[in-house]
Amino acid sequence: MRKALHGGALTDATRAAVSTRLATPQVIEPRFFTSESLVTLRAVCARLVPQPHPGAVDIAGAIDTRLADGIGDGWRYDAMPSDGEAYERGLVGLDETAREMSGGAFIALSGERQDAVISAVEGGSPAGATWRSLPARRFFEDLLAEAIEAYYSHPLGQEEIGYLGLADAPGWQLIQLGERHPRETPPVIGEQPHHDG
Amino acid sequence: MLTYSTDATVDAVVIGTGAGGAPLTARLASAGLSVVALEAGRHWAPARDFATDERAQSQLFWTDERLSAGEDPLAFGNNNSGIGVGGSTLHFTAYVPRAQHDDLRLKSSFGVGEDWPLSYGDLEPYYDELERFLGVSGPSSYPWGPPRTPYPLVPLPLNGAAQLMQRGCAALGIRTAPAANAALSGSYWQAGVGWRAACTNRGFCQAGCSTGAKASMDVTYIPLAIGHGAEIRSECFATRIEINSAGRATAVVYVHQGRETRQPCRAVFLCGGAIESPRLLLINRLANRSGHVGRNFMAHTGLQVWGRFAEEVRPYKGIPGALISEDTHRPPDADFVGGYLLQSIGVMPVTYGSQVARGRRLWGNALSAHMRGYNHVAGINILGDCLPYAGNRLELADERDARGLPKPRISFSNGANERRLTAHAERVMRDIWKRAGARDVWAFPRNAHIIGTCRMGTDAASSVVDSDCRSHDVPNLHICDNSVFPSALAVNPALTIMALSLRTADRYMQRLGREGA
Repeated sequence: MRKALHGGALTDATRAAVSTRLATPQVIEPRFFTSESLVTLRAVCARLVPQPHPGAVDIAGAIDTRLADGIGDGWRYDAMPSDGEAYERGLVGLDETAREMSGGAFIALSGERQDAVISAVEGGSPAGATWRSLPARRFFEDLLAEAIEAYYSHPLGQEEIGYLGLADAPGWQLIQLGERHPRETPPVIGEQPHHDG
Repeated sequence: MLTYSTDATVDAVVIGTGAGGAPLTARLASAGLSVVALEAGRHWAPARDFATDERAQSQLFWTDERLSAGEDPLAFGNNNSGIGVGGSTLHFTAYVPRAQHDDLRLKSSFGVGEDWPLSYGDLEPYYDELERFLGVSGPSSYPWGPPRTPYPLVPLPLNGAAQLMQRGCAALGIRTAPAANAALSGSYWQAGVGWRAACTNRGFCQAGCSTGAKASMDVTYIPLAIGHGAEIRSECFATRIEINSAGRATAVVYVHQGRETRQPCRAVFLCGGAIESPRLLLINRLANRSGHVGRNFMAHTGLQVWGRFAEEVRPYKGIPGALISEDTHRPPDADFVGGYLLQSIGVMPVTYGSQVARGRRLWGNALSAHMRGYNHVAGINILGDCLPYAGNRLELADERDARGLPKPRISFSNGANERRLTAHAERVMRDIWKRAGARDVWAFPRNAHIIGTCRMGTDAASSVVDSDCRSHDVPNLHICDNSVFPSALAVNPALTIMALSLRTADRYMQRLGREGA
């Protein structure tokens, strides 16, 4: 894909969008979260959306930037507070659950124990005072959706799954099953799909 | 582009430039009326401004926050709500099946829901005209519905998802056909617009067509309207409709770059869609003697079933909805009212990932493994009826948005009918995918297009507009968009909205000629 970036396969508008995202530096000084909250969010995102090169895509930073800029996606669950408040309280709630379950802050736990905390939140009735007034399942769903969207909108995430749709300036003529243009390189990882379902 | 002074009284102000507003703007202007169309969003130059990048293209979606309540809270934004000159046609999939006779006769057929105060015959000449003008690509012989004129262009090529659905349907004896798409399978001369180039199979319809092959309003009726002397004012958000002591609309007030402006006019056409149209009326306490503004809210049943195949699908290529079946329009074994259509669907990675999050809640290594199968994924989607229920409605919330206006709260719950219809559809789609060789089949529950809230009807006590889309209360106010649909229709709404738009303009002109108003 990065090879395609330099070829003629991208329109100017696409190249501009993708280049900007590739060049976005990691958020060091958060504008919305506190530094501590950002560290917690980063740890959660690492468990939710694992990366071949951990931390290469700054998912938590993208969330911080969105919230600081006040950008939304056009709707929210009526049962939820504003996006920013949901994140702030949800991250507090995660730490509460972590302390109840494992006696330490979320970031202090092993990956396995962090996963157990996330599973408890996903399940909808985790330990912790915050979750009495913040719907845990909705929080989990919104967080997971945003983390996934941030990762797979990044060229590195797209490269991982073999998505080449952005290289469409010449158009696609070979669109049937199994057909491929030379510029549609094989998936970097996972040549064959898993037949475990 | 011709411009009009805000000191002068124009013949008409149109609010919204999507499928409801754009065709009638062109029609009224072509008849010699002075028309100003207001659009909240920008007037894009697609070749320059549209990237093949889902994140960048979030610029096409209405992102003022809406509050989603009820048992099945509805997603807005990229699910069903556009902004910019062209409105939601900027992100529609270009799927343009016609409604069938019985779509307009739900109550007569089943005893529930609503009939339209119009017949198929009222819409048919407009369907014909629209398909010709837009350059719809479709099969030479369409297997469902009444006899019809042939589509002007041959179908777009089938992509992998369409081939797979065709395979599964053939094994089950379900008829399929290449879908009718308002995207060009060959270059096309459009009267008043010029040559438009053929589709390059970018597969990106839902996030903006950069080539102009898709017949969104910004490349069809809007240039036609401008050519006939209409003025399109972009980045203008309408906040007020002024009414005089005689109960007639006299002006529209809008905000442009933070400044309030007033445009006097002789008539208003409100075409903001099933959320913003009723919202503006409720904020203005207008045209609501029936109490029905905001009521009868519906959202198409839109279940999607995904499967993973051994073959490479590469679901980012080709028109996303390439294949259709309407064999399920009125299924013989139905235990529900109405019906649905089936369509194959491709998908872009961020959209798919978002559904995996909300529908499957996959995370960690399970997520990574699933997403690495992206190039092997294909989908089938339904578009089906949804009945109106008293509890499904739009109201103004106490919470205010960045413009200082009350946010809309939309309560939506599927009823027993929608649940039965969806269960039927899920069985059919799982069967199709099984016969096509899919593994890891999963269903994403979803409701799509927003419909209702300013119902059309003959009884002024239970509807907001008459069959000409004219307000029962304010004689020179028309509402024309998906909000006026009395029933949801078992097809995508865009073509029918456009047909209503042209018809609304024609009926208005006829009355103007007759009564001078």
